[in-house]
Amino acid sequence: MSLLERLGYRLEQRPVPPGRVVFLVTVGAIVAALIVTGIIFSLFGVNPFYAYATIAERTLFNFRGFTEVVRKSIPLLLAGVGLVLAFRAQFWNIGAEGQILAGAVAATGLALFVPLPVWLMIPGMFLAGFLAGGLWGLVPAYLKVRLGVNEIITTLMLNYVALYIVRWLINGPWKGASATGFSYSDKFDRAIWLPTVGTTRLHWPTLLLGLVLALFVALLLSRMQLGFEIRMMGQSPEAARYAGVNFLRTTLILVLFSAGAAGLAGVGEVAGIHHRLIEPNSISLGYGYTAIIVALLARGSPLAAILSALFMGLVFASGDIMKVALRLPFQITGVINGLILMFVICAEPFLRYRLVRLSAEHRRGLNGRGVESAD
Amino acid sequence: MRRTVLVLLLLLGFALAQSDTLKVGFIYVGPVGDAGWTFAHDLARQKTIEALPNVETIFVESVPEPEVEPFIDQLVAEGAQVIFATSFGYGDGVLSAAERYPDVIFGHASGVERAPNVMTYMADFYQVYYLNGLIAGALSESNKLGYVAAFPIPEVKRHINAFALGAKEVNPEAEVEVVWIFSWFDPAGAKEATEALIDKGADVFAFTEDTPTVIQTAAEQGFPSFSHYASMLEFSPDTVASGQLVNWETIYIDFLQGVIDGTYTSENLEDLDYFWLLQDEAVEAAAAPGVVINPVHEEALRAAIIDHPEFGEISVYDLVFERLAQMEVAEPTFDPFTGPLSDRKGNRVYAEGEQATLAELLSLQWAAENVVGPWEGEP
Repeated sequence: MSLLERLGYRLEQRPVPPGRVVFLVTVGAIVAALIVTGIIFSLFGVNPFYAYATIAERTLFNFRGFTEVVRKSIPLLLAGVGLVLAFRAQFWNIGAEGQILAGAVAATGLALFVPLPVWLMIPGMFLAGFLAGGLWGLVPAYLKVRLGVNEIITTLMLNYVALYIVRWLINGPWKGASATGFSYSDKFDRAIWLPTVGTTRLHWPTLLLGLVLALFVALLLSRMQLGFEIRMMGQSPEAARYAGVNFLRTTLILVLFSAGAAGLAGVGEVAGIHHRLIEPNSISLGYGYTAIIVALLARGSPLAAILSALFMGLVFASGDIMKVALRLPFQITGVINGLILMFVICAEPFLRYRLVRLSAEHRRGLNGRGVESAD
Repeated sequence: MRRTVLVLLLLLGFALAQSDTLKVGFIYVGPVGDAGWTFAHDLARQKTIEALPNVETIFVESVPEPEVEPFIDQLVAEGAQVIFATSFGYGDGVLSAAERYPDVIFGHASGVERAPNVMTYMADFYQVYYLNGLIAGALSESNKLGYVAAFPIPEVKRHINAFALGAKEVNPEAEVEVVWIFSWFDPAGAKEATEALIDKGADVFAFTEDTPTVIQTAAEQGFPSFSHYASMLEFSPDTVASGQLVNWETIYIDFLQGVIDGTYTSENLEDLDYFWLLQDEAVEAAAAPGVVINPVHEEALRAAIIDHPEFGEISVYDLVFERLAQMEVAEPTFDPFTGPLSDRKGNRVYAEGEQATLAELLSLQWAAENVVGPWEGEP
């Protein structure tokens, strides 16, 4: 008999956690994380209230700071929504990083070498990036459905292929004439840079695409035939097979969207921020991997991915502020970021289970005879 | 209560801004404890505060290159009037932030593009690598020198070539085998690269990476190596033969002094490029400050006698000091990149007596004759 039962409680699985519970549990986890990080702040001689006030002031209540939070969340949102879609179908796409790079390469190729009219260039770059990212995902998708090759391995490995292709391009054929020997491509023409909000780095067209995509995927999953098939494939592949779902077709389409979304993120990074192809690890600071956390935190909901992407953007931006304004060592900001994430992820069981007080009779039974009644 | 604290802090901030202190921000690409590039910049920052009491500094470590802009925003918000960005990859971010903050003065280490409020600076090692090459060429028994290199950019290529030219001067058989690790800070990659070079037979090691990893890995076999950026002698007292040390503070102090007395403003930096060398005391050929050649290696280098076209019969030990003396004076009488020089494809790069210009050094692409290994962007 467990301790819980002695106390008169037991754990019960909760089928679908209501929104109120999700909200309360998440807030609870964040508060717990803030208390623990507050202790760390104190240990480093920083008043935790001052620390949180400074962080809030510079991220949420400062225009530039806030645009940076949002900007950091853009690639996480696009790639994250794509992953939510893939994960719903139990397609474990770990390759968003490579798909981001594929999108960046396609956009750069178009921007530097294809003489399109300026008005067509920006939509063209996004389309090319979407297709390139999608293509990068289609290979593992095809291999999985046709040959049963584990997609976790193939998508992950293709990340490295993409990374080395970018490196080869910027050191070889696409090395910029203006780069005086350094490893990056020429700069894009200023006319085809993505517009930003004022002088900030917030490239809003990519943000808009991310929001539209999140809405679209939400509709797809809840209202469309294809979305139904995707969910069925994820929840019960056998049933899906009986129902006549074409696995190859459905998987290819969903992965095209999932990986294509990451490709769009890559376009945003090169056309909106760097304006040229640079070191792969500088194009994407691990966004493809962080997007996995974004998708997991979103718990299968594309709209929730908007919130979780913003949350991750805020966590990263706060780390930056801790380094400069609070003068904390960078390792500590890493520890704090890790702790916050851990608390949020560890709150997951609280959503899936609830504590139930045993019935009075049951408790009496336990106390009286020490054996469970067979009710 | 909290609001009161904030207001008080703001007032304090204004009070500080009104006083005579110059607030200087430093942005580092690695951790200050890397024992290499960033460590050297941070040491210089501390020496700068000692030399210029009115200077107050703030530093941020491990800032990823594409993320430099928000950090500049933060530093400006903290009241920084001068900001040093200490990595090449910060260039685009610095230039765009400089447009946004026209009153803030920026310094971009190893940068190439300037603006009215952005100067560039570099303490360059090519002469020092040449001197290290002399030593390496004499110490090698296999005639294979290993070079663990960061990125195939002109700065690194220039240093590899200088090292190879030095080695060739004392040992015509010496070859420099290069492995690229595509990172400035990657101890694991540097270890792997060193082991690969050892497998290929290399027995003396130079590198461009910000940790003492190459030194430590080579030392396991007892192979000599060279300090890079900061003294790494303590990591292996018996194998660090010499090295490249930097004194960034010579540049920081000179520049900030100029800012304090008004010589340098946010409007006149367009043409200001510090490219400081041995003669400017910005760099030093030594295993640790003052230790040009590790006494452990003195005997071997004294015993290595060569017939030199300029100095006649001379030991490599003496040759190092002769060359050092030629390059340390205000008007150097020797430069490693002086013709006749050919690249490894057989093209003549500099004719007899012709010397590389600064612009050519900054965009150097060719590989010296005795360099072996991949070389992206080779002309």
